Amino acid sequence: MKNKINLRYIYNPFEKIAGWQALLYGLVFVVLSGWIGKHAGLVFDGAIDAHLSNDVTYYQALIILVIDVVCMSIVMYVAGLFVTKNFRFIDLLGTMTLARAPYIVLSLAGLFVTVPETADLLANPYRVFTNPGFLVFIVLTIPVMVWVIALMYNAWKVSTGAKGPKMIVGFIAGLFVAEVISKILISIII
Amino acid sequence: MLPTSCPSCHAHLKVRSLKCEQCETEVNGLYDLPVLARLSDEDQRFILSFVKNSGSLKDMATELKFSYPTVRNMLNEIILTIEKYEK
Repeated sequence: MKNKINLRYIYNPFEKIAGWQALLYGLVFVVLSGWIGKHAGLVFDGAIDAHLSNDVTYYQALIILVIDVVCMSIVMYVAGLFVTKNFRFIDLLGTMTLARAPYIVLSLAGLFVTVPETADLLANPYRVFTNPGFLVFIVLTIPVMVWVIALMYNAWKVSTGAKGPKMIVGFIAGLFVAEVISKILISIII
Repeated sequence: MLPTSCPSCHAHLKVRSLKCEQCETEVNGLYDLPVLARLSDEDQRFILSFVKNSGSLKDMATELKFSYPTVRNMLNEIILTIEKYEK
């Protein structure tokens, strides 16, 4: 029973943590994942994106994370206004920030990966199989992305209190718009 | 805990009889239960706690060890139930 409860909180800690507390914990995870990610050559260039790249500075990596978090929170807040009422921006900001916590797993995993040259991969795609660290990293991105999106969904559900089809449509639309806007802003600012 | 729904068909129960313990007088009829009494035991405890906390959801969240929006969502659920019973 205890394990069941703990497992639920892995996907939905927001029943217990929201608002300023979630924002504080979330910022710690976001800054750490950005800093470690920079060392690992990983950049979170979109509301739900993570790509291998060594082309950004620490300052740019930080700005990108700010764009991701702010964009996601504001877009989801506006989406929330269409489907429900009576919810606080700070809850959405805090929970959406904390929802990015699993990215630290990717950043840490990235430290142990030697990224193959793109030209080499294009010339011989099978080279990827000679790089087990890179393969493990690629496979690891799938559960981490699922975890992040599940957390974002629960952050949206708990913070807005929305229910039914409106909640699901609002979340999907908000996620899509936030991704597009964050990509545009990152390409303009960075 | 006062039973509020029929154990057989789950329809709302009504009060058939009330009795004075002091003089043994019985009042018979068919009375509706008050809306608050129809709520679940858990919802009634929530409302009592809400009133005792002067309607502060923040204090409720601290007491119940849940986040603020979770407690607000609990209250919204109870409001929906009450509105359904009042129709």
